[in-house]
Amino acid sequence: MAASLQDIQRRIASTSKTRQITSAMQMVSTAKLSQIQRHGGSYTVYSDALHDVVAHLATAHINNVKGTLLEQRRVTKVGFLVISSDRGLVGGYNSTLLKEVMAEITRRQLTTDQVVILAVGGNGADFFKKRGFDVAYEYRGVSDVPTFDEVREIVQMATTMYDNEVFDELNVAYQHYVSRISNEVHLEKMLPVSTDDLVESKDETKFTADYEMEPSAEQILSIVLPQYAESLVYGTILDAKTAEHAASANAMSSATDNAKEIIDSLGLKYNRARQSAITTEITEITGGMAALN
Amino acid sequence: MSEHTLHVKVVTPNGIIFDYETASLVVLDTTNGSEGIMANHAPIIAAMQVSEVKVVDEESSFEEIITISGGFAEFSENTLTVVSDSAERAQDIDVKRAQEAKERAEKHIAASDTDDVVRAQAALMRAVNRIHAVTGSK
Repeated sequence: MAASLQDIQRRIASTSKTRQITSAMQMVSTAKLSQIQRHGGSYTVYSDALHDVVAHLATAHINNVKGTLLEQRRVTKVGFLVISSDRGLVGGYNSTLLKEVMAEITRRQLTTDQVVILAVGGNGADFFKKRGFDVAYEYRGVSDVPTFDEVREIVQMATTMYDNEVFDELNVAYQHYVSRISNEVHLEKMLPVSTDDLVESKDETKFTADYEMEPSAEQILSIVLPQYAESLVYGTILDAKTAEHAASANAMSSATDNAKEIIDSLGLKYNRARQSAITTEITEITGGMAALN
Repeated sequence: MSEHTLHVKVVTPNGIIFDYETASLVVLDTTNGSEGIMANHAPIIAAMQVSEVKVVDEESSFEEIITISGGFAEFSENTLTVVSDSAERAQDIDVKRAQEAKERAEKHIAASDTDDVVRAQAALMRAVNRIHAVTGSK
């Protein structure tokens, strides 16, 4: 009985250490989450300004789309930009995302050589490599609050590949941050830039003005569109990273809860074992006394 | 806001870098050449070069130079919005770092490893632009 008592004590000690770690990790993730949310706010100003101008230009000059990112090509190869995490301990963050991408590939009946994968985050890269997909680009080690400069490489790679017709359509798969407790897998077509998205301008009244264009509208469009595409991709990476921090905070908070439950039940077990040890001892003593009498 | 001033904003992915409500003149370097914008200018969208934006407020003799790396400018309803993927106020520029970046870019161009050249040239332009904004020499 004594050994089992010690065993339980040891398990309680180790579980409470684990709990300490998971609760610290939860706090770290929560801090990162609020940090990235603050950053996301300042980014929205930029993306909105860009969106409004592109929307205005695109709706007014919708006919001249040849050779731009608006042009619809016949799709022979489909690119998927999969934004997963580098690290584990984020609950179902990666698995639900990757499952969704696989389901989409099956649904569209694409073979492995019709698919080009661009992977941001190690989990996605490893997953698709193992399954024999063409991983044309992988990027690991996106920082916790990615800056635009850091992401620029990824973004430019994606738009250059599209220009070079490595793929004719780019879909972005990522976990969209809904709230602190839930994420949602989003699969969006990013290139060619969809004009439907652009028409829903956020501020209808502002862009009715007749603009002077300098140089021509087409030339401006050819400058602004890549910038817009870059901003879109950066936005999704920010969103995905936000979701990752939320998922991580969540996973760690439930791990902490579980540890607490285990410690509670172990404590109960420990007390029971201790009590029964005492009972046995008393029985032995009274038994001994009876024998002496 | 008085009638003879305009509102200037410089917006980047990292937020609003510069915001000034009562500028009297803004000088932009568009791809078509220099362009001065004053209050009540006709609405305009212009593509920008890797260049400097000069904001002047005559009334309070304020002048500020912001370097931008391309992008575009949009003016309507007396508000000028410069949208660029990076921008810095001249006072925040680290000249030493810019100098280093310039030398690095020049080395890359000299070595001319094919597709790196375009990127190096762009980097060189940015570095030169930033140095110029502070020291006034290229």
